[in-house]
Amino acid sequence: MTAELDGGDTPKAGLLRAEHLTRHFKIGSALSRRTLHAVDDVNFTIGEREIVALAGESGSGKSTIARVLSRIYLPTAGEVYFEGKPLSAMRSRAERLRYSGLVPMVFQDPFASINPVFRVSHGVLRCLKLHRPSLSEAQRQQEAARVFEIVGLNPDMLQRFPYELSGGQRQRVGFAQALAMKPKLILADEPVSMLDVSIRIGLLNLMAKLRDEEGVSILYITHDIASARYVADRLIVMYAGQIAETGPIEDVLTHPRHPYTQLLLSAVPDPRAPLSVAAETDRGEPPRVIDPTPGCRFRWRCPLAIDTCSQVTPELAELRPTHSAACHVAQNSPEEVQAFTAASSEAYAKVAPPHPKSRSRRTR
Amino acid sequence: MAMPVSGVPTETPVSQAPELGSARAFGRIGRAVRLNRKATIGAVILGIFILIALFPFVIAHDSPTQDAYPAQLGISTAHLLGTNHYGQDLFAQLVYGTRNVLIIAFTVGLATTGIAVLIGVAGAYLGGTWDNSLNVVTDVLLVIPLFPLLIVIAAYAHGGTTPVLILAITLTSWSYTARQLRSQALTLRNRDFLEAARVRGERRLYIIVVEVIPTMTSLIVASFLTNALYAVLFASSLQFIGLGDPNTVSWGTTLYWAQNNAALQTGEPLWAIAPGALIAILGAAFALLNYAFDEIGNPALRPVRKTRKKGAQPVGRGQRG
Amino acid sequence: MADEPVLEVSGLSVDYILDAGNVRAVDDVSFTVGRGEFLGIVGESGCGKSTLLFAVAQLLAPPAEVAAGSVMFGGNNLVGLTDGQLSAVRWRDMSVVMQSAMNALNPVKTIGAQFKDAMRAHGKVPDRDIAARSAEVLQMVGIDPVHLRSYPHQLSGGMRQRSMIAMALLFTPDLVIMDEPTSALDVVAQRSLMVQIKELQLAFGFAVVFVTHDMSLISHFSDRLMVMYAGQVDEIGATRTIFDRPLHPYTQGLLEAFPSIRGPRVPLKGIPGSPPDLARVPSGCRFRPRCPYAVDKCAEVAPDLYPLDEALVRCVRREDGSLVS
Repeated sequence: MTAELDGGDTPKAGLLRAEHLTRHFKIGSALSRRTLHAVDDVNFTIGEREIVALAGESGSGKSTIARVLSRIYLPTAGEVYFEGKPLSAMRSRAERLRYSGLVPMVFQDPFASINPVFRVSHGVLRCLKLHRPSLSEAQRQQEAARVFEIVGLNPDMLQRFPYELSGGQRQRVGFAQALAMKPKLILADEPVSMLDVSIRIGLLNLMAKLRDEEGVSILYITHDIASARYVADRLIVMYAGQIAETGPIEDVLTHPRHPYTQLLLSAVPDPRAPLSVAAETDRGEPPRVIDPTPGCRFRWRCPLAIDTCSQVTPELAELRPTHSAACHVAQNSPEEVQAFTAASSEAYAKVAPPHPKSRSRRTR
Repeated sequence: MAMPVSGVPTETPVSQAPELGSARAFGRIGRAVRLNRKATIGAVILGIFILIALFPFVIAHDSPTQDAYPAQLGISTAHLLGTNHYGQDLFAQLVYGTRNVLIIAFTVGLATTGIAVLIGVAGAYLGGTWDNSLNVVTDVLLVIPLFPLLIVIAAYAHGGTTPVLILAITLTSWSYTARQLRSQALTLRNRDFLEAARVRGERRLYIIVVEVIPTMTSLIVASFLTNALYAVLFASSLQFIGLGDPNTVSWGTTLYWAQNNAALQTGEPLWAIAPGALIAILGAAFALLNYAFDEIGNPALRPVRKTRKKGAQPVGRGQRG
Repeated sequence: MADEPVLEVSGLSVDYILDAGNVRAVDDVSFTVGRGEFLGIVGESGCGKSTLLFAVAQLLAPPAEVAAGSVMFGGNNLVGLTDGQLSAVRWRDMSVVMQSAMNALNPVKTIGAQFKDAMRAHGKVPDRDIAARSAEVLQMVGIDPVHLRSYPHQLSGGMRQRSMIAMALLFTPDLVIMDEPTSALDVVAQRSLMVQIKELQLAFGFAVVFVTHDMSLISHFSDRLMVMYAGQVDEIGATRTIFDRPLHPYTQGLLEAFPSIRGPRVPLKGIPGSPPDLARVPSGCRFRPRCPYAVDKCAEVAPDLYPLDEALVRCVRREDGSLVS
């Protein structure tokens, strides 16, 4: 796990670049058609050999981004460039297959992401067969054993069935499958959330090892900022489908500029921190992404909201070197945010969380 | 609840033993059948019937069609079930008839389940217009009343020989199973491992055949058994009301002739009762085997072993909050 | 009345009766919970904490059964009571909050209807009182009572868990047992729910037994902490004591498995290996294969709980003083 950060340079030449990436879903019946803005006008880059953490709560759009990047969904608007070439230009099956090998995905649920009917070697061997067809049968077996060792599994385990493996071991199988395809970027969708806390560290260490020794970049999607800090180089904080703040991870966590980032930080339970007085905090209600009105989507939960926040949607602006936030208050009156950061837990106690009127609509 | 047993990781609650593909599945199925009492009984009965169908001449030494014997004999050692009105040996008739019944049962079972799997699972997985069109076909056939349709088809074919019967019953039965399998496949559709297969670049047909269907083996086998059972019942019913080929040696046709000759009233009750009893027993065998597969697939249905401690109150299943 | 514990579990053991033989999922566990006390039970998956919880709440279903021990609550031993006798206790004096509200709540009934069911099942309450009390408990957890008419899927995850807690408080029980009620929630909702639970506890004075695998979550809320491993209690004591001076190597390992958002970034190791198969526990100390301090004695002696520095710990090296942190 490297402690070197980019230290002020722009993130290395984009391996993957998302520009104005947007994904909407149509929901509701024919009578009341509404649009769910899962991801709205998102821009970011991922460089080589780096781990970028994409953090946010449910409803933030982070899982949707993973699915757009893996082409499970196509973008409603905007474009994704991989190695400089737009994804929408990939028409042939061969090109799409190549992309899926270079940008594989690791899923969240270790108990659902492996087919229970086959031995765990099945997935790895299929990946090899599809993406490295020049290998012979014997070479495939060798490769499978090799990637198992890299992820810390005994190659004997190739013959086991998924139900014989623990959750942590199954997640390692997921990483092995990704590795077998010689990827450039692994999309890891909350890979440790369903594992016991004591097992998580092992997998986080594995991710760092993959970056350092295999040269793979990882997009680490999570809602756990502490684990993001442990393993990632840069951090993107998402809220309600938009990027709230982004920058080198140490910088963002020690000098948070967006009030939402501060909220996330204050909510992280840290046993080493001194006991805090039990204060009523933000409820964690899901953000409003259905037919949203202009303005900052965080304004209902924000203790610093001003009039502009209800009218104009804030844009990402660089506030410190390579560290940007989308917040009117942060951009115009930075001292206010700094003071707020210093006294945040008390500030959140003063905000009465609004209760949205109960119409019978689904809340996520 | 975590149930730590050898070989199972203690980290997770293992909800149920998984469906497995290929040879291992048969081993597991065999073991499951042996352990489950109902299934064992069913399997034994079915096994006996299969043996009878394969080697009828071993058991019955008389010809089923020759009316060579004195009519209306009772039970005797020479004629185990007596003879019928025409002097045919009833036992021989039933023994030789087993073959016809089992052929119908297995062929219809396989064909129905096969079609249902293809249409149901493909529809569920492909979704969209594929699903909609396949649904229309399925639903139309589902809604048509089964038995009247069978009668029409069999009558139209001028007396249902066995192939006609098989065809007619298959045509009218697959839609129900297709519906069921589609529902099950729908629940599987968004499972992560299928998404993982998609993401790694597998083709759709591959996913349906290799990734989805093996996880549904329990339901597919159960469907096969149910369809086989209903095939026996429907075929026998059609034959009984005269729509089968009266010259085929089968249990249903035996019933037909018994009915024609008012067997019950004229003092040859065995002629009517014996074939009916055999149909019931074979049906029960399929049904018992079916129980086993229900229980394999859904451990919640397994019979609970009583606690062995005497005197202690059984710990209750409490109400859930 | 004041000093009598509200719950006293002694020597509780739970077995799973399986074809292959009995497996002891909970081994000789004893603890007490005082009035208004918040006890946290911490452990990895498979350590038996959920089974223990179900045993205390008398919700065990075959093949699990209580093999030994007693659960003293309100002067009665709950083990051995019939369903009828238990129902007098259930929900009025002791209630349970399950792990996933989505699984525990009936998806086709409104919240209000489910509250009504609960109240009808456990007491003779006139209808208008039911409505009033339902609204009251929802307000206690910070939900607008208009949601009595909502279905579970119309509420957010946090709100669903809160309504589960509200349901558990309908009869203001003396003891509320919670099985990882926050694990399905996001970090902000989690914290908010924990704060809510603590506030309610302080306001109404009920005791809480809270099972979780996330030690850091519980650190600020529990009075006492019990660490379980492989079906046994490995350490038990005041929360702060355990966090400041963890005695058992497993507890130490757990505490070190949390990356921190403050302070220097240091590489962590976690606890290598995985919990033992309870059908074949290691000889001597069950944690020995994963323990960085194990010596030969650890394989020979199966340690008992030993009082040390205001806590109880199950470790031979602590007992004989050869391990000093």
